[in-house]
Amino acid sequence: MNRRKLSIRQKINVAIFIEATLIAAISVFIFLTFKTVLSKLRFIEEFDDINISFLEMRKAEKNYFLYHDPDALTEAYHKGSIAYRTLKRSQEKLTSVLGKDTYNSLIQTLDKYLATIQNIKKPAASPEFASYLRDLGHNLTQLSTHLIKSEHRKINEIIHQSTVMLILSILGIFFSQLFRWHYFSTLLAKKLAKMESLTHTVAKGQFHEVAVQESEPEDEIGLVINAIAKMAQELEKREEQLLQAKKLASLGVLISGVAHELGNPLNNISMLAEGYLSYFDSLSDEEKKQFMKDIQIQTERIRKIVRNLLDFARQKKPEFKVCNPKEIVEKSISLVENQLRVSKIRLHKTFAPKLPSIYVDENQIQQVLINLFTNAIHAMSGGGDLFVDVYSPELKDKVVIRVKDTGSGIKPEILPHIFDPFFTTKGTKGTGLGLSVSYGIIKQHNGKISVETEVGKGTTFTIELPAYQENKEGANG
Amino acid sequence: MAKSIIVIDDEEVVCKMTKMVLSKEGYDVETFTDSKKALERIKEKKFDLVITDLKMEDIDGMEILRRVNHLYPGTKVIMITAYATLDTAIEALRERVFDFFPKPIKIEELKKSVKEALSD
Repeated sequence: MNRRKLSIRQKINVAIFIEATLIAAISVFIFLTFKTVLSKLRFIEEFDDINISFLEMRKAEKNYFLYHDPDALTEAYHKGSIAYRTLKRSQEKLTSVLGKDTYNSLIQTLDKYLATIQNIKKPAASPEFASYLRDLGHNLTQLSTHLIKSEHRKINEIIHQSTVMLILSILGIFFSQLFRWHYFSTLLAKKLAKMESLTHTVAKGQFHEVAVQESEPEDEIGLVINAIAKMAQELEKREEQLLQAKKLASLGVLISGVAHELGNPLNNISMLAEGYLSYFDSLSDEEKKQFMKDIQIQTERIRKIVRNLLDFARQKKPEFKVCNPKEIVEKSISLVENQLRVSKIRLHKTFAPKLPSIYVDENQIQQVLINLFTNAIHAMSGGGDLFVDVYSPELKDKVVIRVKDTGSGIKPEILPHIFDPFFTTKGTKGTGLGLSVSYGIIKQHNGKISVETEVGKGTTFTIELPAYQENKEGANG
Repeated sequence: MAKSIIVIDDEEVVCKMTKMVLSKEGYDVETFTDSKKALERIKEKKFDLVITDLKMEDIDGMEILRRVNHLYPGTKVIMITAYATLDTAIEALRERVFDFFPKPIKIEELKKSVKEALSD
């Protein structure tokens, strides 16, 4: 399907256009209705005058027949003439409302009526004229009354119909608004929810999950989603580049670390050997033995550095197993319990109930934990509290192990370097590899290790490991 | 009276060897692997020569150099370092270091340098 979808703006425009057309149609309808009603009212007004003239005319006619007053007859003629003039004057308007036939019959009847009055006025007029006049008059008033009544009825009908139409249109606009609101709010809410989940994924650093989003429609939010996907792609690429750069940088640190670490014992051996040769004759056997022992100690030191380096460099393939996080943590704690006691450190451990399993190399995770515990012990030389909390956040998709101490904390200037190889604050006592190895292990488990610290208050290391999911081939599949 | 020398290096072997070599040359040698204690000793006693490692815990060689220059202007300082960058060398020279020894230290060269430093 390659149907081009409408953008949200276009959809809104279409909806607004439909509504505007509806409102315009209603306005035109109201205007036309109003105009019709107005013209009908004007007609009624005008025709009322004619009707009144007719009624007065008939009153005068009746007076004439009752009292045989010739003035009454003249009066009837006079009123009839007024009505006639009005009819003639408004001919156009009246024809348009009444129709030509009705108008003609009205004017003809009135014409005959007036002619009959003239005939009656003549001396020795036939008595038949009188009854003829009565008939004509009767017809005229009946016709005009009927006309007014029917126009009134028509107006009422129009008003009734427009009221219904108006109510229907208002309902129509209301429902179309309601529909539009519902449509766009659900549409937007759905898309925004998607965007929100995408940004969360990006925030979590899982760029690859966001990177491909091709089926999105071509509307604005779709474009934003695509832009986020592109950004995630770019971030993923950049992250890799950054990782490479970091690797190179740590290689530099590693090399200078190695140079420094090896420089000292090499110097010692060199000095011992030179001294041994220079003073060979004056040295006692016991002293000569001590020289050799010292050289041995220095070579052992070098051997240890090389071994550590190999451990660090070797890509030991982890052996993943489904493990219980609580067991691993308990085992690691048991290995440092004695040290804790000696250092007067109180241990507080909490385990959340129903922890999900993790798919890890048990030994490696233990190594990481022991490293963190040892660092904490070193940071609390005057005693303190060690908190170990194991829990799983709501979704049960990961296990969090938090190691918190109340020790000296890490100075802000050295915080960025704590995961660098050979970086140490323990002088010759530390290899500077503990945390960098730990970092590598946790990364290999698709986990995260982070640190929060405050000088003088303590340090908290947080490890996050993905929970084991049966249908998934674990962390490193 | 024998000239006095203080040697500060957190490597015990360096202390031991320089003490042995320089004592045999007739100097009065005191050694410290702890730079803090060494500085306290310097405050107590004016040595004729200070030999110090550059990179140490607590107080480093550059700090020792500055303190000595401040306390006893004219007292010479020889700096030892496992690996020197140009920056540290320049900084040390600016602080009027007498000599600069990269490790590994050649005993003969050290002897020569000490002799030079102490021959007024």
